[in-house]
Amino acid sequence: MPPLAQKTRTPTALDAAELAAVQSHFRALRREPTPAELETLARAWSEPCRSRTFAGPVRFSDGRKTRRFKSLLDETIVKASRQLNRAWCLSSFQNDAGIVAFGPKWALAFKVEAHSHPCAIEPHGGAETGVGGVIRDVMATGLGARPVLNTDHLCVAPPDYAGPLPDAVRHPRRVLGSVVSGVRDYGNRMGIPTAAGGLWFDDAYRLNPLVFCGTVGLLPAWAVRKEAKAGDLIVAAGGRTGRDGLRRAPDAGPDGGDASAVQVGHALNGKRLLDAVLAARDRKLFRAVTACGSGGFAAAVAALAAGRGARVSLEKAPLKAPDLAPWEIWLSESQERLLFAVPPRGLDAFAQACAAEGCETAVLGEVTDTGRLVATHAGTPVVDLDLGFLSRGLPRAEKAAVWTAPKPTGAKAPAREKGLDQILTEGLAHLNVCSREWVIRQYDHEVQGGTVVKPLQGSRHDGPGDACVIWPHAATGDSDDFQGFAVGHGLNPAYGRIDPYRMALACADEALRNLLCVGADVSRAALLANFCWADPADPEQLGALVRAAEGCRDAALGLGVPFISCQDSLRNRSTDVSGKELAIPGTLLVSALAPVADVRKSLTMDIKGPGNALYLVGSTAEELGGSLFHQICGRCFGCTAPAADPRAAAAVFKGVQAALAKGLALSAHDLSDGGLGVAAAEMCFTGGFGAALDLDKVPRRSPIYSDAVLLFSESASRILLEVAPDREAALLKALRGLPAKRVGATMANPVLKVAGLDGRVVMESALSALKSAWQGALPGRLG
Amino acid sequence: MSDKPGFLAAKAPSAPTVKKSVRPGPAELPIPQAEAHRPAPGSYVVEVNLKPEFADAAGLAALRMLHGAGIAAARGVRVGRLYDLRGPLNLGHVHVALRELLCDCVTQEFRLCHGAVAASPNSAERWRVEVWLKPAVADTAADSVRAALGDLGMPEVAVRCGLAYHIAAKCGRGQLDKAVARSLANPAIHLILVHEDR
Repeated sequence: MPPLAQKTRTPTALDAAELAAVQSHFRALRREPTPAELETLARAWSEPCRSRTFAGPVRFSDGRKTRRFKSLLDETIVKASRQLNRAWCLSSFQNDAGIVAFGPKWALAFKVEAHSHPCAIEPHGGAETGVGGVIRDVMATGLGARPVLNTDHLCVAPPDYAGPLPDAVRHPRRVLGSVVSGVRDYGNRMGIPTAAGGLWFDDAYRLNPLVFCGTVGLLPAWAVRKEAKAGDLIVAAGGRTGRDGLRRAPDAGPDGGDASAVQVGHALNGKRLLDAVLAARDRKLFRAVTACGSGGFAAAVAALAAGRGARVSLEKAPLKAPDLAPWEIWLSESQERLLFAVPPRGLDAFAQACAAEGCETAVLGEVTDTGRLVATHAGTPVVDLDLGFLSRGLPRAEKAAVWTAPKPTGAKAPAREKGLDQILTEGLAHLNVCSREWVIRQYDHEVQGGTVVKPLQGSRHDGPGDACVIWPHAATGDSDDFQGFAVGHGLNPAYGRIDPYRMALACADEALRNLLCVGADVSRAALLANFCWADPADPEQLGALVRAAEGCRDAALGLGVPFISCQDSLRNRSTDVSGKELAIPGTLLVSALAPVADVRKSLTMDIKGPGNALYLVGSTAEELGGSLFHQICGRCFGCTAPAADPRAAAAVFKGVQAALAKGLALSAHDLSDGGLGVAAAEMCFTGGFGAALDLDKVPRRSPIYSDAVLLFSESASRILLEVAPDREAALLKALRGLPAKRVGATMANPVLKVAGLDGRVVMESALSALKSAWQGALPGRLG
Repeated sequence: MSDKPGFLAAKAPSAPTVKKSVRPGPAELPIPQAEAHRPAPGSYVVEVNLKPEFADAAGLAALRMLHGAGIAAARGVRVGRLYDLRGPLNLGHVHVALRELLCDCVTQEFRLCHGAVAASPNSAERWRVEVWLKPAVADTAADSVRAALGDLGMPEVAVRCGLAYHIAAKCGRGQLDKAVARSLANPAIHLILVHEDR
């Protein structure tokens, strides 16, 4: 095997400033860096491993004034969350996943990660490793969490996209089908329910689809903290190391070259590893664990030994192929591998616990207190780096960000080219609203036996749920504890095209609304943010990102709900067939997690019977920018994206939560895409009962003279409640001081009837027709 | 460590350069010719197919995908599973492996693929397309097969798994190449071998 120094790999991920910093560092040491050291630095300083843009300095100009952020993330989202200082947030922005308390004995770890580029290259394998990667991260959170829920959110081009695509780009229909099968194959085989998520379709994702995979894990409260100590053995467990993920696909030769373009997941190995981790954790056989993800052993050893030091011998790693070069072993991104810090006296017991689950282990080295990251191969030095330089040596170049506020156009009366019933039918058949049953039915959302509120609801189990409610104690055996948790999402890139700040507010608001509607305690919620942007080198793109980050900050402070994790993927721009750069729309996924005090009292969104009152809580304004109405009718009034007021929303949420806790509502559904019209239709056809609405009764912030605006405005923070007649007085008492009015009633006749501002019936649609349009859209477009 | 004055002697860059975003999709890779993948001496390539009297759901799905990829002339597809077994095996071992593990002899039949593959004409009415994972791509199904062969008492062998599509379609080779790469396989991770099915 040739010595490493003779290899000539170029650390392509380092830019000129970073290469200069590395050069300066090694000049001071009076020696050449090895290629493996350069690769280690390149990986450690890369955008996926270190949020260089988000955590870096930014100069932001909005045309009136210029502000400087030393760290965009720290001064917006992290700062707001620290300011809130919620006691139930046990770990934020530190661990592999955010951790919140879950009752006195347990904690929940939650992480959502975008795994988009691998899915663009190989959708099935990319989705598998996306799910596998986030499961692995949750397994390595604290001293190990048991995954109890998977989520997936996909942003793709319409499956019947008929425009030209570059030869190497997979058609959106194939991407969608393969990603769904990848998520299914990994999650189902691991025995983890996939019960939450969403789909968003937009042509702009045709070259860069986005795949967000999330996992919630349950761990004992005592297992939240971890710390390796000097002298602990570094033990690798799980899958063997191969050439997976060492090179990007465009670099791979037609015969596959000497390295794989993509990682391939192995769910069964993942399950073995999970069982081994949990067995060893419960016997307290290790002090710390970390996942081998991006950067392989290099990143994992550095993370495990952060603040101390480590020395490893790479020849001890179990390999898939015997001819791996040391740098390949060091940087391979083979899946299903964890690194443990094991006290020497517990090594035998640890190895036995792993072997009992069929999980291979190998002692690679030990944790030291030298502050250095040292790797050798058969006595030959491979890497000898100062951990301080590795973690703090990255040059911090300030990036320019520019934001130009959108110019509001004057509100205009709607042109009535389409009837309200036609707009509603088209809205229900819109790809961003229609039934996701084709996806949901491919996932096992029942495994583990704890899915209380399921993704499909109603008497026929085919209506759209707001959020899922999970009772995780089926896994713990604590059958007398009825506490559960709910997970919901908010995502709407259409708002972001107009104003990313408002998009962020709306997404956080929607995620919490979804939780509220299933009976979760949103006062103890925690949020996660995932930003996917096109190119941070473009000042306007970065300006939009700053606006979105500020929106998250203000949402957290206004709603009183902290963020516990933030991830980013900021390079999602590709060249189209015409040679033009196609950027994705700035995309923010906000995921929310909140406890449900008693899962037996959870709510669903289907109407439960005739003769009940429908109450709309939250005020409506003329906000149709980026709305479903806008997309269907090609125009908007005022073109302003919904402006959520987080403090007003917090008051609404508090009142509604109190009412739901008292059992005053039979069902609840949030108003999002398509506004009141779509929400009412979904509640009706899911429950099988009709409803009559009176638009004149809709609470509003300002005068509105259009039936269409009242029916389809997407103002935030609104919830539609079904209330039994004998509970109306109590409900109004609970909602005193809030914008809440009786806007209609349910009925046995299966129609949705709407009375306009002038009292005349402006729309009457049969539920069967509405449901048929809603259910048939996606299968019809898939062909 | 090396004392070559390579990296340190390089002129320090004067200004940071903006890194260009790299499109995540792979460059379209040429489909290898059939000659690129012949069974090596001492190895066994076996194919397991559903018996003709059984409906092939995977074949129907593949047929639909080919139609969607532009092979409107495709009339039918049958899908078989390929196993490439390499190691100290004899024919007896292979038959035991097939009967005990790889083939359900009630609904399936198997055959050994011998020698050179058929020629690859410019057009034909029946095609055989083999899809294998590239050597550097982890083959998790093969891992399971290898472990199961060990459980059967077989010698340690190297295993790769693939799929064989028997396609009834009167079309050109180039058209089929493109359609397969767009529907049944992914050139980023797969080796695709197209030849006439005789």
